[in-house]
Amino acid sequence: MADPAPTTGASDTRDTAEPLDLVRLSLDERVYVKMRGDRELKGRLHAYDQHMNMVLGEAEEFVTVVDVNEDTYEEVVRIVKKEHEMLFVRGDGVILISPPTRA
Amino acid sequence: MSQIVKSPTDFLSNVIGQPVIVKLNSGVEYHGTLACLDGYMNIALENTEEYVNGSLKNRFGDCFIRGNNVQYISAAKQR
Repeated sequence: MADPAPTTGASDTRDTAEPLDLVRLSLDERVYVKMRGDRELKGRLHAYDQHMNMVLGEAEEFVTVVDVNEDTYEEVVRIVKKEHEMLFVRGDGVILISPPTRA
Repeated sequence: MSQIVKSPTDFLSNVIGQPVIVKLNSGVEYHGTLACLDGYMNIALENTEEYVNGSLKNRFGDCFIRGNNVQYISAAKQR
């Protein structure tokens, strides 16, 4: 009888063995990035590192701003869009990265 | 979820490939299938739904979540 092999975490190799593989497979694709501070980015992923520092090309930045009307205290949400030809993103602000949905 | 859980790591290896709910420090929840995770608690999810204040805000086929934002990973009921 063979001894049961000691389990060392994920043993079955799936399409992504570690989460960073998902980011590696998104290189040169247009990715969606959710950032801290109600910011969202879309851009072509040129480079990244282990901190999730990233370089995005033809990047669009969407900033969600909530204005409160002084009289009615009504909250008005608006999205400010900025465009950047090339953008370096510091990794510590990153919450989520999603590659484009593959058809 | 009938496997024996002896440590947090055992729990995590048991829920790989299972539906989970990941809650972030911001309160936002991600419901999806746990593809994999690493020592930083970086997470890859499949067929993800983003819930803000309990309502569905976004869907992602695949998504990577940076580990520092994670508050908990919950084994979700089978969807």
